[in-house]
This record gives sequence, structure tokens and C-alpha cells, in this order.
Amino acid sequence: MKTAVFWGCCILADQLGYEMSVRETFPKLDLELVDLRESVCCGDPVKSINDFAANYLGARVLALANQTGLHDLFVPCNRCHFTISEAMNTMSQNQKAGRKIRELLKEEELEYNPGVKVWHTIDLLHDCMGLQKVKKAVEKPLKGLKVASHVGCQIIRYSDLGRVDDAENPSKLDELIRALGAEAIDYPEKLDCCGSALMHSHIDSALSLAGSKLKALQALNVDGMVVSCPDCGLMFDTRQKDTATIVGIKLNVPVLYYTQLLGIALGIDEKKLGLHLNQSPIDHLLAKISA
Amino acid sequence: MTKIGVYVCHCGLNIAGTVDVENVTEYAKGLPDVTVARHYTYMCSEPGQRMIQDDIKSHKLDRIVIATCSPRMHEETFRRAVAETGLNPYLVEIVNLREHVSWAHTHEPEKATEKAKDLVRMGVARARLLEPLEKRKVKVEKSVLVVGGGIAGMQASLDLANAGFKVYLVEKSPSIGGRMAQLDKTFPTLDCSACILTPKMVDVAKHRNITLLTNAEVTDVKGFVGNYEVSILKKPRYVDAKKCVGCELCTKACPVKIPDKFNENLTEKRAIYIYSAHAVPKIAVIDPDGCLRLKTKKGNVCGKCQEVCEAKAIAFEQEPETIRVKVGGVVVAVGSEVFDASRMAELGYGRFKNVISNIEFERISDASGPTGGKIRSLYSGKVPKSIVFVQCVGSRDKRFHAYCCRVGCMVTLKQAILAREKILEDVRIYVCYIDLRAFGKGYDEFYSRARDMDIDFVAGIPSEIHCSPNGSLYFDVYDKGTNKLLEMHADMVVLGTGLVPNADLERISSLFHASRSADGFLLEAHPKLRPLESAVAGIFLAGACQGPKDIPDTVAQASGAAAKAIDLLSSGEIELEPLKAVVDKDLCSGCKICESICPFIAIEMKTEPGKDKEKSRAEVIEAMCQGCGLCSSACPTGAIKIQQFSNPQVLTQVQAALAEAKPKGGK
Amino acid sequence: MSLTDLMTMATPNLESREKILARLCGRDLVNCFQCIKCTSGCTALKLLELRPHEIVKLVNLGFVDELASSDIIWTCATCLKCVQRCPQKASPYHVIVALRNLAVEREAKVPEGYLKAVSQILETGLAEPCRKIVTRKMETVDRECLGLPKVCNPKESFQAVFMKAMEEKP
Repeated sequence: MKTAVFWGCCILADQLGYEMSVRETFPKLDLELVDLRESVCCGDPVKSINDFAANYLGARVLALANQTGLHDLFVPCNRCHFTISEAMNTMSQNQKAGRKIRELLKEEELEYNPGVKVWHTIDLLHDCMGLQKVKKAVEKPLKGLKVASHVGCQIIRYSDLGRVDDAENPSKLDELIRALGAEAIDYPEKLDCCGSALMHSHIDSALSLAGSKLKALQALNVDGMVVSCPDCGLMFDTRQKDTATIVGIKLNVPVLYYTQLLGIALGIDEKKLGLHLNQSPIDHLLAKISA
Repeated sequence: MTKIGVYVCHCGLNIAGTVDVENVTEYAKGLPDVTVARHYTYMCSEPGQRMIQDDIKSHKLDRIVIATCSPRMHEETFRRAVAETGLNPYLVEIVNLREHVSWAHTHEPEKATEKAKDLVRMGVARARLLEPLEKRKVKVEKSVLVVGGGIAGMQASLDLANAGFKVYLVEKSPSIGGRMAQLDKTFPTLDCSACILTPKMVDVAKHRNITLLTNAEVTDVKGFVGNYEVSILKKPRYVDAKKCVGCELCTKACPVKIPDKFNENLTEKRAIYIYSAHAVPKIAVIDPDGCLRLKTKKGNVCGKCQEVCEAKAIAFEQEPETIRVKVGGVVVAVGSEVFDASRMAELGYGRFKNVISNIEFERISDASGPTGGKIRSLYSGKVPKSIVFVQCVGSRDKRFHAYCCRVGCMVTLKQAILAREKILEDVRIYVCYIDLRAFGKGYDEFYSRARDMDIDFVAGIPSEIHCSPNGSLYFDVYDKGTNKLLEMHADMVVLGTGLVPNADLERISSLFHASRSADGFLLEAHPKLRPLESAVAGIFLAGACQGPKDIPDTVAQASGAAAKAIDLLSSGEIELEPLKAVVDKDLCSGCKICESICPFIAIEMKTEPGKDKEKSRAEVIEAMCQGCGLCSSACPTGAIKIQQFSNPQVLTQVQAALAEAKPKGGK
Repeated sequence: MSLTDLMTMATPNLESREKILARLCGRDLVNCFQCIKCTSGCTALKLLELRPHEIVKLVNLGFVDELASSDIIWTCATCLKCVQRCPQKASPYHVIVALRNLAVEREAKVPEGYLKAVSQILETGLAEPCRKIVTRKMETVDRECLGLPKVCNPKESFQAVFMKAMEEKP
């Protein structure tokens, strides 16, 4: 299946492990990615400044996708997926705003197409490709690996907007983990937020939120934590040391993207999956898998 | 030559305050065929009515136009006054100068007066074409079907039976008693529910006018008000009701366990069982899906119950039986269900064993329940050290049911008080609420009592509930009163789950043609003035099936519904208003459009023997027809018309309305 | 005046409230009956004292101006739990976004992080610049040496149109 892909800002900026692992694993699942003509923001940080402009940016991404002629757009970031979904909602519910946005897009000879289906990593793999396909592609089942999934906030809420999984009992990421042979555990803090939105203004609080969740998982002795959004990855992996400082304990939780874990199970080389870029103690996790 | 009398009412200042009634009366005098025109302060009063009667006699008037308030107020009154003089009461035309003129145009008196004149002119035009009509009488059955054997159904049955009516009480489970039988105590008196209920249950069973049909359901309803023909399916008990003595030797012998519905599936019972400790009738019943012999349909399997039964009452060969009864009216009293809290996943019901619903708590508190009336965790068996009640679960929630369940607050107060009374050890009891509604007689006093018993109230509800490894629960809740974020720990969380419409209400609704309101419950004929009946004549509503309510309101409504039914049927016949549809069979082409369009199922297609062998023609069932006019406007041949609303009668008003219209400028 | 807050002597400003309602496209998102569920589960409550129910109530009563120039509206973590669980389908999150937009319009205090992001977008199309990364083994890498495709900035036309979009007021 051929799909356009919109990476957003965070992935391109420094969450390269996510991009690398997606580019490596997707062809093994018969997914072909087509980049958009340009890299541009979905509008997420603009929401707080001018919600209309944010909707315009979100609609613009879909217009760019429309230009590729493809009917599917893969959006690996939770926040981009949410921002684009709200933009689509505005286009269909708010006639006035919709008209203005179309006019603005026209100035760049872009056209909004509501027919483009927007996917996230979770539903693209779980619903579209299917668990069977993932299972079949697995070469190195991750037996005995105890993993905790952090699915995030903006990809499951709010239900009325149409999200990729149930808001109170999200199970798809866990099932994708199990399809790799690993164990996906349930834990009380599962639906807690990573705090990334507060990095614009209240960095310590953001780090404290992420740190609390890591602390709880550490107490459960998980072998690793799986995320599927670059903002969550930034908080739990890239800034883990800073979160540890804020919550006042040493943190050693291996954190990686689902597509990186998938890549390991598919037998792909670590470096190709960008695992050397992860800042959390991935080596522990890799050691356990090799054992 | 017709002689019309026109009477303009002041209605105190209601009409006269805006409309110049003298002017309108003078105008009326000048209309053709108007013999006399008068105005008076209160036409509906005794002197007002006498004025009209005297004029009819002295001037030999044959048509009366009364320009007054809405016909819904006094049309009947004026019809009766005219009928007393011997003039046909359907020769009276009411013109609405209040709701349609003075109340709508209070600030434009000149224009209002002109409009009043127009309406009177139209009324006079119509009056000329009115025809004399007669009410018709239909015989009715002096018997009533009551569907549902809970407190509503039982109360209605007793009232009807005591008034001399034959009652068929149909209950789908093996025993009557309904929800109330599951309760421990009732608010606000803390009466023992079983103690006040069981005498009524026995009265119902013993009453010579009540035929009790348990383990039965209504499957078909035909006919019309006063003459319903109902089919009732008696599901087999597989136990001979005449022989069974309720000794329960069979239940002890049965090897199969099934969930006990009466105990909200908190315990198990055997495949042969007696519904509850105080079941009426106290006869065993076999669950055909649980029983090994009935499930496998093999005659040699198990049969232990049969072995031990000394009364030889087991009857595996029993078949379902359908009976048909004729009744004059129906009281629908099928009750409601409790919201399934697992739909609100964030509260943990269904996932965490110590999060329970209020009906489950009730069974725990009841002496005949799974813990013998002791407040215990069903899973650890321990006495809770803290209990938290969380209100409005599934109610006042646009994601599930937008309405307030009306009883949730009182149920929680009751259960909190019971917990405080029954648990002798130290226990903290909290109620997390949004608004605490204690509106009835003695209710707020009950709330005060709860506060006096060291039950604490937190003004706020939790967003999510978590479970610790030992089964106890914890969550955060913000209290509006103290502005503090509180972390709460509870051994037991009781959810204030609301009452929701029955799952089979859709089937009941279509069986009896009783519509449902937006909230899913059965719809009453008028929310204020006719709360005891549906829009369909002869179908009455009682209890929670019409809307969530507590026991006092249920009993009141049930007795009211019974009184309504008695009112309708006691004389043995009913009078039908003649303002109904009438078919001219010669014009009817048998197209069936009217039959399909009629919302009151008041039109039947009948084939007539003779000339046109296969041709069916429409026939109106007068008792069901409400004179809405849909058929008349849809009929392609003009064969069906509403009495007093024929085309000429309506069009003459239109012509009269436009008679004095001045053409406006323009090319 | 029919209502005065005796702590601050503020009175309701219905015009300001209308500005918020216009951004919310009606009253649905503010139709709150103070069940407090949102605050009970608010991600930003413990650390930053954000009380969503209070924000919504203040807007409903018309006390918008103080909120628009406050710090509290910038503490929301946008976890959307309040939107998900509100029994009246109100949305404190959307109310907060509307207040933030109003704060920007009035040139009140706006955290620098957002302003930085917007100027980045204007310049390069992306909210963040592409960075060099230090691996666990202390090697420095970037997109190019990792073999990832180059980042293409949007054409010049983007800047002007984006500015236009930013000037839109509801």
C-alpha cells in the first residue's frame, strides 16, 4: 500500500530514531511511503496563538497530501494527528472558517480534499495492515520481554473527534506489542500524560509529569517502555535524565518507539533503526533480547 | 335562511384589554345571516351561558359563534350549554380571540381589533356550513390488562380489582414483586421493603378479580379502546403449578449452577429454582438453557429434581401456551433497568471487583442477599473500612443519558445510612456528588439525618478510579467546598447508577403503539395535564416505564392510572366524539394510502362481498380515530374527510379571510 | 452594576465573554454545571494549580479580562481528559485555547516558547530547527550522515499566506 507521509517538526528535528525505524520497517509490511513536497508545521504550537491559523496549517498539510494524488496520509505524531483532525472537523463544521481557509490555500494553488484518510502508526498497523501481517513478518519473537505501552493523549482523545483507539481502554498498541511476542502489561498510570505541551512554558512541571510516570514504571520492573509519538519520546527518552533530576531519583527505563521494537523483532540492524540515538538505557533492553 | 348568534367575550381584561370588543360586536352585527350579536365580560359564566340559551329560544337561532378563549378551554362547556336548549351542540363555532389575538398582539391594539374582526368573519362563514352531528356509543369490556408485576402493576391491579374490574396481571419473570422486592429498606422512612411489599403480593395472588399470569409475556395486541384482544404467551415452568408446594428439595438436588438474576448475578442459583425468598407464586421453575435434560433434549439425562420431588410436580414435557383475552384497557407498568456502569470505563466497574452498583449494594444489604444482610466486600469477605458513593453514573450525562434519574441521591443517602447503622466497626463513609437532590416529603430531613450520622459529603466527582494490588480503590477528587484536591482510598466504591429504559421497551412500545419520548421512556399524552396515559386511547402508563421515579410517585401514578381506566370503562360503554374521519365508499379506490399514513392505526381496509369481489375499501375505526386529518389531506380521490372539516367548510374560511383584503401596490 | 467581585472589584464584561463564545462557535462548550470532574482529573492541577471548572465558571459569569491576562491559562497540558469525560460535553480545553487566543490579540503575556515557534515557522516552515544529535556513545550525528532525506522548506509564498491566516479574528 502506498501512502503519503507527514512527519511534522519534532521527528525531523531530533526524534530521528522514529523516522529511521519507520523507513526501515514499513517496506517489510508492504507499506510504501511518499514524502510531501515540503516539510512544514501542522499548526500545533500555533493553536494557542491563533486557532484559525492552526486549522489553516492543518488543512494545508492535507492539501499537500492531496497534491501527491494519494488517498492516504500517514501521520506518525500524536499531536499532528490531533491538529489535522481538528482542522478537518473545522472544515466540515464551520462554513465561514472553511471558506476562508480554502481561499488562503488557493493563493498557493493548493486544494483541500476531505477525502484523504489520515492514519497514525497505531491504526495503520493494527487496523489497516492487521496483526496477522505484523506477526507473519516477525523473525525474532521477543519472548519474555515485559513492556509497558504509553499510547499518549491526543491520539485517543477526545472520542467525538474520531480517534484511533478507545479513550479509556486503549488496547491496540498493546496488541501490536503482543504480536511481536512480547508481554504488554497493564498499570494504573497508563493514561497519564507525558507533559510535553508544557515544554513551551513550564519546563520543570513537564519534566515532573514525565518523571512520575517513569518512576512508576521503574517500580514495576518493566524491560522497556514503548511510545508512538515524538513528543512523548522526547520526554521519556531524550530528557529522561532531566526528569530524573526533577523527581529526585535515578531513572533507568529503556524507552523506544514501537517501530524500533518492531524493527528489532523483524531482525533489522540496531543502527538502521536509530537505536543508538535513544538516550535512555536501550542497551539493557537489547541485551535482554539477545539473551 | 340561517340565523346566527355571535357572542364576543371580554374574558375579563384578557381579551378586552387589547381588543375593542364593542367594535367587534358592532362589526359582527353587520355580517350577513347574523341575527344577534352581543358582548359580555365572562361568556363561560352562568349568566353568560344563560344569555346564549335565552337568545336561542327567543330568536330561534340555529348557529352559534362564540369569540372567546381557546376551544381547548371551554368548547365542551358551550356545547353542553347549547345542547340544553335542544339545539345540536356541534353547531357551535369557537373563535379564539385570546391565544390567537389578545395574547399574541398585546402591544398592537388597533391591529389586534382588525384581526379579531377578520377571525369573527371567518367563524361566521364556517358556522353557516356546520352540520349537526351525534356522539356514538360503543360497548366496552370491563376488564383490564396490567403488564408488569412490580409495585406499579400490583397497585393498579388491586385498585382495579377492588373497583370490580377483572384484571389480567402479566409478569415476565416467575414471580411478581419487581424491583421493590430486591430492596432492603425504602427511603425516607427506612421501612423494610419486603415487609410492606409482601402483603400486597399476597393480596394480588388471592384477589378473586385478578388472574395472575407469571412467567408470561404479551405477544400480540389487536383491537381498539374498550375492545382489545390480547395474546399472552405462558412460558413453561416445566413444573406443575398445581402440584408444587415450594419445598425446594429440587433446588438442593440440582447439579447445575446458573447466575442468580434476583441477586444481580452476585451469587449462583440452581437450574431449578424458586425466584426469591418471598416469591409469589412460590412455585419452582426450570431454566431451559441451564437444565441438562432440557438443554440436550435427551430424556435420560439427569432428572435429579424429578427423583426427589415428593409432589411429583416436575413436568419436563410442558409446552408454551398462548391464551387470548379480551380487555377494555391496558396499564403498562413494565418498570426500568439500571445503567450498566461498565460503559463508563474510567470508573472501573467490571474491572475492579470492589466497585459495585447501587442495586448490587442493595442486595448485599438485604437479609435475603448474598451476605445475609452484612455489609461486606464480596471478594475479600471483609468489612470495609471506608465506603465512597459516587453519584450521577450514567445520568445527567450527554454521553449516556442526559436526564436526572431522580432517585439516585435518595438511594445513596439511604445506603449510606444503612451502612452506618449496620457496620459496628469504624468506617468512613463519603458521598461524592454534583448536586444533592432531596426534593420530596421528608427527603431533605433524611439528608439532614445522614449528615448527623457522620456521613461526609464531597462536592465534586472523581475523573478516574484506580485499584491497588490488594483490591482497594484510590482516586483523586477536587472538593468545591474546601477547594482542596483530595486523594481518597476506599475498600468499597458504590456507583449511583441511574434508572434507564428497559431493553424490551421497544417491543412494548410497538405492541401497544405507545410512543417513546426523547429520553427513551414511554411518552405520556401531556407532560403536565395527562401524565397517566399514552396518546393512544385506552393505554395507560404507570411507574418507571414512563420515567424514573421513586416508590411514592410510582404508587400514586399506578392508582391514578387505575382510576383513569375505571373512569373510561366503568359505565360499560364509551361515547365517541364525532369529529372523526368518514369514508365515502363510492369514492374510495382502495389505494391504502390512508391506512399506511394513519398514526393511530384507526383505518382498516375491508373487502366487501358482492359487486367488486376483490376490492378493499377503507373503513375508519371510530374509537381509535383522533380526527387529525392526515388521511383527508393524503387521499387522492377526496373519499375520506373529517367531519366538520370538509373542503367547503375549510375553504369558506379562507375566502372569508381574504374577502376584505386590500390589494397592495406594485405592478 | 448587578454583580461585583468584592475581592478585585471586577464586574462581568459581557463583550469579552462574547469574544470567547464567538471563538467557541456557541455555548455548547461552556454549558457546565460544575460537577468538578475535569478538575479532579486535571493533569496540571497538582503542579500548577489549574482548575478547569473554575476557568469555565469565570467565563460563564463574564470574568474574562482577568483570565486573558493571567498566567494560569498557559498551564494547561492539553491532555484532553476534561473534554473526554465532561458529562455536559463542555470543553475547558477549548475555552482555555480561546482565552489564549484572546490574550495574544490583546498583547497580554504570552510564554516565549510559543512566540519562538511561530517565528520559526515563518522563517523555515517548521516550528523547530533540525538539530545535531549526540548518541549514547557520544558521537555527533545529523540527518545527512544518517542517510535521511533533506528537509525541504516551503516556498516563499507560504510566509505571506501564513501571515494572512494569523491576522484572522473570529
